[in-house]
Amino acid sequence: MHPAFSGLPTGRHEAACASGSIALLAASAEIEAGRYDLQAVVGIEQMKTVSAAQGGAYLGTAAWYEQEAEGIEFPFPKLFGKLGDEYDKRYGLKDEHLAEISRLNYDNAKLNPNAQTRTWYMNKEHALCRTDDNPAVGGRIRIADCSQVTDGSVCVFLASRDYAQKWAAAQGKKLEDIPRIKGWGHNTARLRFADKVAESAAAQYVLPHVRSTVTAAMKRAGIEDVNGIDGIETHDCFTTSEYMAIDHFGITAPGESWKAVEEGWLEIDGKHPINPSGGLIGAGHPVGATGVRQLLDAHKQVTGAAGDYQIEGAKNVQTLNIGGSGTTSVSFVVGV
Amino acid sequence: MPDTPPSAAEVRRLLASRKLEKVTVLGANGTMGYGSAALFTQAVPEVTFLARTKVKAEEGLGAAIKQVRSPTVANHAKVGSYADDLEAAVSGADLVFEALTEDLAVKKEMFDKVEKFRRDDSIVATVTSGLSINALCEGRSESFRQHFLGLHFFNPPNVIVGTELIAGSETDPEIVDFVEAFSRVRLGREMIRTADTPAFAGNRVGFKVLNQAAQLAEQLGPVLVDRLIGPYTGRAMTPLATIDLVGWDIHRAIVDNVFENTDDEAHLANRLPGYMNRLMEKGVLGNKTGRGFFHRDEDKKQYVLDPASSDYRPVSEIDLPDLSYIDDVSRLYAEGRYREGMQVFLGADSHEAAIARRAIAGYVSYAFHRVGEVTETIDGIDRIMGMGFNWAPPSVLVDMMGGAAAAVGMIEKAGVPVPPVLEEAAKTGEPKRFFDNPRINIGRFFVAG
Repeated sequence: MHPAFSGLPTGRHEAACASGSIALLAASAEIEAGRYDLQAVVGIEQMKTVSAAQGGAYLGTAAWYEQEAEGIEFPFPKLFGKLGDEYDKRYGLKDEHLAEISRLNYDNAKLNPNAQTRTWYMNKEHALCRTDDNPAVGGRIRIADCSQVTDGSVCVFLASRDYAQKWAAAQGKKLEDIPRIKGWGHNTARLRFADKVAESAAAQYVLPHVRSTVTAAMKRAGIEDVNGIDGIETHDCFTTSEYMAIDHFGITAPGESWKAVEEGWLEIDGKHPINPSGGLIGAGHPVGATGVRQLLDAHKQVTGAAGDYQIEGAKNVQTLNIGGSGTTSVSFVVGV
Repeated sequence: MPDTPPSAAEVRRLLASRKLEKVTVLGANGTMGYGSAALFTQAVPEVTFLARTKVKAEEGLGAAIKQVRSPTVANHAKVGSYADDLEAAVSGADLVFEALTEDLAVKKEMFDKVEKFRRDDSIVATVTSGLSINALCEGRSESFRQHFLGLHFFNPPNVIVGTELIAGSETDPEIVDFVEAFSRVRLGREMIRTADTPAFAGNRVGFKVLNQAAQLAEQLGPVLVDRLIGPYTGRAMTPLATIDLVGWDIHRAIVDNVFENTDDEAHLANRLPGYMNRLMEKGVLGNKTGRGFFHRDEDKKQYVLDPASSDYRPVSEIDLPDLSYIDDVSRLYAEGRYREGMQVFLGADSHEAAIARRAIAGYVSYAFHRVGEVTETIDGIDRIMGMGFNWAPPSVLVDMMGGAAAAVGMIEKAGVPVPPVLEEAAKTGEPKRFFDNPRINIGRFFVAG
């Protein structure tokens, strides 16, 4: 432990890939309850000290291990491959659209100095490549469709209104220029992926709990729909999860995510920019840090501090962080 | 302090200021040629691989595909030979990228032809690792000189992002700014501007350390030298293994160039040891010939060179003195306690530790002495050593030693010249911290081993 933390109340939160967001929820709740007025939320993960296969096995514990992961090499690519299969079954799905999502994340990552893939060789053609240079790791999921193991850490500070007021005064800033968490959404679905899709068989959305998480955050922020959101940092652990996010955010009608891909709406200068940072695929996915990183990127966007990947004039940016195969979902709206 | 990067708006303006869609790589069958060509295929629609014959150019393309592990390289590539395709490829190129062998005459002869065919607005870049940019464009037209610069990728370019940018005395500053922005944003490079001095910044500082290791090996033997200037001193790869990887001939070309064309405070450190010259005559060139400081037999058994006799002995038969302080340092590094590890190194009481400290003092001293000569500030040297060589940047070592005063003490004790920048900082106590680049995780340089 770093000596700076000695003597401070600390806690550790775990919700698979949504751990960072769960920590943010807990920290903000404690501030709202009046227990503390300043919280440091640290997201950190070290993943590269073991082999990819070993790391994949550890990550498998975020699913129902005995039933979905034990003895399976790379269980999560296979689960999110099934998410693609479910879309294919209900609405049809082309790999070309997934490749375009991969391409966009890698392209955006090249603009982000903190992205781990900014120098990797990647483009849409490579993402579509069906050779050993881009091998399949789980059904329709190939390497280019995956966020890959990352060492990474991030820290954000959440403060009460009073504390922020004092801090702003000391910094010579206006309180209203300091970004706030305007809304949050949080929901949980059944653990096994097969149960999730069985439950939603008759529903419009493949993962209804994710949809309600997103709309709850918008509602709390007083934002009617996705047209009031200037940019999105979503959980693209695989291209299929971003494909899912597109219609779950309401950018298109359910099952029509491909339209947003084809129309170029998701580009940084498009109508609904997604993952200007490069997301998990481009920036990296240090599991426990990701939710916090998304919030920090939202903060950078709404303060105009995102540098080369800035969305022009962004005022409200929304995150979506999911744990397991869509089991835990958390969304924040950050705005000024 | 890090150099201030241009604003996002300025970068956008620069990137839009010129068209860069077609790149022609000359010498595309060499390591730097195909490695660089592969990089360009990621960023522009058309890259022409040129070599002496079309077959060689095709081999370069094949190697590029293998290097970045993507068959899509071929979708953006054309191949050709100088005899048949130079005129069309050079006249159509927005950027002509020269990656021929490191020989001034060979390069100049090629530039004669390039000048004949190039458009007045096309950029000409050379990947030379240390030849003078001004000398390379001497006698060329004004347009050529204004559009000519050095763009020094490190090998392999798809892995090592540190890149030196060297303007000639007449290069148009807008061209320099454009190439910097393009390389940073479109090619993902970490850009370091250096002066047009022999071996520029990275190789000037790095190969001096490597050459001193080679000099030391004459008395101590390669095994002990690579232990003493090993990972715990802030590098993943040991110095003599690095020379074997780079190739002895390349090492010689770089240090000879520096030795002949500079006269700095550590001049003799850049003199190639005589035994290396003798062995090179017998064909010892490092890994590419199977023999260097080290070699492995068919059973993977490792042998080491005895510089005095030119014989090889099994590494397992080499007796080493007590180096337990290295294990102590490594244990601390493994826990992320880099400062404490460095203190153990600085305080280690043995003849061998003193030799290692002299080598590291020599590195820090030489790097800080080059401020104002090869780069404007220490920041450029720090970044190229960190992101070009994968060595702990000199400023990081100073910080880990406990600051300028501690570093000056260590350098003095080692009997190495104290650089003015550090002497001044030791007096004033400012800056308290030399390395403050948030994008570089210093932990990666402190390798436990």
